[in-house]
Amino acid sequence: MEQHIVKLTDAENQLADLLQAAGAADAKAALTEHGLPHRRIEEYHYTDLRTLLRDVPAELAKANDDLPSEQFNGFSRVVIVNGKLVHADAIDGVEIKSVDVAKKVGDDQIINLMDGFAQSQIEISISKSLNKPIHIAQVHAGADSVAASKLKVTSADGVEATIIETFEGQNDRGLRFADCAMDVAANSNLLHLQLDQNATGARQFVQNCYDLHEKANLRTFVTHANFQLGRTDVKAEFKGEGAHADFAGLTLLMDKQHGDFTLNVNHAVPNTTSTESFKSIVRDRAKAIFQGKIIVAPDAQKTDAQMMSQGLLLSERAEVLVKPELEIFADDVLCAHGATCGELDADALFYLMSRGIPRAEAESMLIKAFLAELFDEIEDEQIHAKLENRVDAWLAATE
Amino acid sequence: MTTPILEIKNLHVKVEDEDKQILKGVDLTLPAGEVHAIMGRNGSGKSTLSYVLAGKEGYEVTEGQVLFMGEDLLEMGADERAAAGLFLAFQYPIEIPGVATMTFLKAALNAQRKTRGEEELKIPDFMKLVKDAANQLEINQDMLKRPLNVGFSGGEKKRAEILQMALMQPSLCVLDETDSGLDIDALKVVSDGVNHLRDANRSMLVITHYQRLLNYIVPDRVHVFSDGRVVESGDRELALELEKKGYAEFDGTAA
Ligand SMILES: Nc1ncnc2c1ncn2[C@@H]1O[C@H](COP(=O)(O)OP(=O)(O)OP(=O)(O)O)[C@@H](O)[C@H]1O
Ligand SMILES: [Mg+2]
Repeated sequence: MEQHIVKLTDAENQLADLLQAAGAADAKAALTEHGLPHRRIEEYHYTDLRTLLRDVPAELAKANDDLPSEQFNGFSRVVIVNGKLVHADAIDGVEIKSVDVAKKVGDDQIINLMDGFAQSQIEISISKSLNKPIHIAQVHAGADSVAASKLKVTSADGVEATIIETFEGQNDRGLRFADCAMDVAANSNLLHLQLDQNATGARQFVQNCYDLHEKANLRTFVTHANFQLGRTDVKAEFKGEGAHADFAGLTLLMDKQHGDFTLNVNHAVPNTTSTESFKSIVRDRAKAIFQGKIIVAPDAQKTDAQMMSQGLLLSERAEVLVKPELEIFADDVLCAHGATCGELDADALFYLMSRGIPRAEAESMLIKAFLAELFDEIEDEQIHAKLENRVDAWLAATE
Repeated sequence: MTTPILEIKNLHVKVEDEDKQILKGVDLTLPAGEVHAIMGRNGSGKSTLSYVLAGKEGYEVTEGQVLFMGEDLLEMGADERAAAGLFLAFQYPIEIPGVATMTFLKAALNAQRKTRGEEELKIPDFMKLVKDAANQLEINQDMLKRPLNVGFSGGEKKRAEILQMALMQPSLCVLDETDSGLDIDALKVVSDGVNHLRDANRSMLVITHYQRLLNYIVPDRVHVFSDGRVVESGDRELALELEKKGYAEFDGTAA
């Protein structure tokens, strides 16, 4: 018989102790039994956490309600520090409260850690259309500490809302988890953005789960740029006919950064549509991973899912790894996935330079051209400008 | 004697990382204010010469020298050459999706000005400059709203090249088959545009397969190019002779 005893790494032992301290005995037992996800676990094949998470913080983050964080002019504001709700503007038609977490344990040890470390769940219910976005500043306070937040957003029938989360903090070498579940009600229209702005050495794991009801419309946009190691797991389930969702992501990585987008989009009912568009730019020895799985259930006829992943390699040793998967069990569907990966076009670069544009500027122009349509869907000027500034700052940092 | 705009001396060029020698001893002197034509068979190395002049990577100069207004051209980067006044109108202009034509023109003009230590153009001045030049070349303003060269017809691309040339006011214009892909009327418009730029301080190297272009842009000299070298030079009559007799007479392949 095969032996199933795993020899835990120091990091795994450390995490197990921290789970104990956080009162998550079941998660601890699961981690002790299975260890962290590694490359033989399909979903983590390219993100082997036994090697990537070798040293972990020794303590849990202590709440600190007094940290400066990102500001958006005129947006409603919610501040979550180390998973605890510390501030919420009064917003007409929105109820925000913090409840206890019902801890449960599943197969994915990262999700178990996420649940295990979270001390409360922050629930945001939106019963009226919002005339301004809600900005949720997710602050991780404390270098070398572990923090987890858990968010649940529900919208009422027909509601329109924009939610922008910023993952920020003084969390060098820190380990943070963020879980977000969104229930997108029938006929409602939600835009969900997540901008990462962690300290350089931070490690971040995010799970976004979406339930889409009849005629719901969802757009998501996530950035992967500011962390040492980051993974965003997207799990979407179409539960009502006529629903549509656009999933988009931007990856900008350098040095030895490692970013992983893993999508699981389940078209479980007929007549639903989705697009998945992810662009990655990597340089130095950075690694960007995109795994996108689209499932079309047997009776989910008329599903239309269009997945596209594009990578731009700016250095020889940078990598973009793409794994698209279509599992289609219905026959009358339109599904496609495409992936491109390449370097900057040398002919285009020469053309621009031959007109007097210096190399660095010419490269920037082509990089921005590569990103061209990605921000088109984001109408809010402030958010749009913020994203463009992000790209500019990234380009400036690498010149 | 004043310094020629361009002096190419015994230029040998091969493809980098390959054994393929393309230019095998080009000699050519282009005095200020003159227009010289280069004619030659397909594959004889005309475009390669134009790329090497403009500073494209991927070629290795194995022998020889190129002086641009007395300066060593080969030492300069492609962008520096442009700022110093060299312009190549591409045989096949590159389409660049995602870069708006106007954004590109402004970036290029300002980059050149910056390298030369001049001030940036003010937006209204820039707009007017482009508008006037476009009108002269009968270029539709709508075309300028599109991404650079994307979806332009063959002829539109060539016009756009000459538009850029008119805006940049270079000292040396290298036109690589600017006439190919142009209809008869367009040929006239584009040639007028080029002639308009003829100037005592500006020289042009006009690569073409067709003597017809030289009826419009009348050259001071014509060079016959074969197998990576200039094999014959003469006045404008040489082009007519070439058209009559074919290349074989000139490159020693005649039976
Ligand atoms: N990067 C390269 N790698 C390999 N061969 C090359 C390269 N560039 C040019 N060549 C070859 O060098 C030769 C000259 O090419 P070039 O484009 O300069 O010819 P040309 O005279 O402009 O021809 P045409 O009249 O058809 O435009 C051709 O045989 C071409 O295939
Ligand atoms: Mg050619």
